[in-house]
Amino acid sequence: MSILILNGLVNGLIVGAIYAMLGLSLSLLYGVLRVVNFAHGELVIAGSFAAYVLFSVAGLPPLASAPIAAVCFFLFGWLAYYLLIPRLSRSDDPETMSFLLMYGLSITLAAAMLLAFGADSRSIDYEFNPVSLAIGPVYIATARLYALGVTIVITLMMGWFLFRTLPGKALRAAQMNREATQIVGVNIVRLSALAFAIASGIAGLTGVLIALVFPAFNPFSGAEYSIIGFIVIVLGGLGNPVGALIAGIFYGVAEQMASVFLPQALAQIVGFAILVGTILLRPTGLFGWRAMR
Amino acid sequence: MTNPTGNSHALDREHADQIFRRLAWLLGISVTSYFLLVPVLGLNIAFHFYMMLWITMASAFNVSSGFSGYMPFGFVAFYGVGAFTTAILVKKAGLSIVLALPASGLAGVLLSLLFAPTLRLSGIYFAIVSLALAGICRLTISNLPEELTGGSFGLQLGSRAEPLQAFYLMMGVMLIALATILWLSRSRLGKALRAVRDDAEAADMMGINVGWVRLKGWMIAAFFPALCGGVEAWYTNIVDTETAFNTLITAKTVIYAVAGGLGTVTGPVVGAIMMSWLDELIWRRFPLINLLILGVATMLLVLFLPRGIVGSLLRARPQWRRFIP
Repeated sequence: MSILILNGLVNGLIVGAIYAMLGLSLSLLYGVLRVVNFAHGELVIAGSFAAYVLFSVAGLPPLASAPIAAVCFFLFGWLAYYLLIPRLSRSDDPETMSFLLMYGLSITLAAAMLLAFGADSRSIDYEFNPVSLAIGPVYIATARLYALGVTIVITLMMGWFLFRTLPGKALRAAQMNREATQIVGVNIVRLSALAFAIASGIAGLTGVLIALVFPAFNPFSGAEYSIIGFIVIVLGGLGNPVGALIAGIFYGVAEQMASVFLPQALAQIVGFAILVGTILLRPTGLFGWRAMR
Repeated sequence: MTNPTGNSHALDREHADQIFRRLAWLLGISVTSYFLLVPVLGLNIAFHFYMMLWITMASAFNVSSGFSGYMPFGFVAFYGVGAFTTAILVKKAGLSIVLALPASGLAGVLLSLLFAPTLRLSGIYFAIVSLALAGICRLTISNLPEELTGGSFGLQLGSRAEPLQAFYLMMGVMLIALATILWLSRSRLGKALRAVRDDAEAADMMGINVGWVRLKGWMIAAFFPALCGGVEAWYTNIVDTETAFNTLITAKTVIYAVAGGLGTVTGPVVGAIMMSWLDELIWRRFPLINLLILGVATMLLVLFLPRGIVGSLLRARPQWRRFIP
């Protein structure tokens, strides 16, 4: 039993690291744009398909396609921002309309992937050598370890970017107070485009990692990851990247532990229940005191 | 006008009310006679059945989103629970549809009461929670014992429903829904709902019981999709969790309502009729890219026609606002 728990804990950490990536990109987007990206999960799955195509057509291993996916999705996000978001502010109720817009984008992306790849579940049969490593009594798939490594690298890079560079500081400032950031002379439109692009880039990269860590994906798995992303950012306090990181890992561990002790379907309900419970009881998130400070 | 101002104001208002009532009757009679003529003229019954279903769904969604300002992205929960209630009552309890259908509506209202605590959330929190609650409903029902819900194969009703009977039943539900919403748009409750939507604190100051008014609007919005689910289950003779809780049902409802324009009675009706026709034309020619077109159409609507057809018309001609239901 204890080995099961240990296994659940280790896998929870790895899965949680991926959920933390989902949360990081989503909270960056929400923090700066105040837009909830219903299409985030579809972007992520599009990243998985990108890795799939690069592997099956060009024979590129997933780790090599990760930076390619990140750059492509960064550019896509940049373009999508200028195509979609500026028009939103002209409507009477930008918040509601942004839900609908992103909802439309998510349907569009899922349908496009359905047309291109069919409804079957896909997976990348790339194998690392060795397939798994023994750390103490626990065996871990090498692919998962690499995925964990990538998430740590990304987190460190994002930390450096957000806390040490001028554009990163501007992004954090915009999360705290959009108007004041404009007053000190930051071009908020370009900054928002940057946030959208970075979030999309991380989403694409997360998709590659998901193709490595989870057994299969299909055009409709996107909705699942969107919801996980929502759960994570709500737990972490909306628009708080550090909170999202911690909440992602927390949620990953909770989910994997729940699947050790509970039947599969019940474990899924646990996730939704955590979300509803948090919103109703602690709407500022588990680390709400941080967001309010 | 030679009347004193106060008097002319009252006259003017009465005149506007008269036009409104005439237009409302015109709307009711034209919708009723159109659908009554469908079986007589031998038009496509299935297509018009679903058109009425979408009119009802979009109109009910409008009560929540247009009148009360809540965007329930898990709207399908009410539909699915209604479908399963009817299916279980007809199949397992052997009730006739006439008794099972009101029970479905009741189930929808009960579910809305269960979800009532979410009404204190707003904007994004409400949207996300609503989505998650629909997921919980789907998972819960698919995990109920197989004898009750039929498991992954779904439930066969074995109801021998005549398509024409289902058609008239759906028409009855639609007319009741439209009449209710027409009444709501003019009633004290409807005005209170709009006031609460625009500024809850101010409405509270004016003596409106904010929580109670929101709850009433929410129950109305939940009642009709549950009925729709019930009628559809009876019509197609089968329910399963995958189709009864399909997010596409929410998607279509939202898009049809927005296409017509939220906040007016005619908006969702116009939107549902127009989009049903568009859907039918697209479906016939390109069944594969149907979903893609639905998604692109949503984005284009939001970007270029965010107020919908009727909403844009009223924006261009604000003086018509008093007449158009």
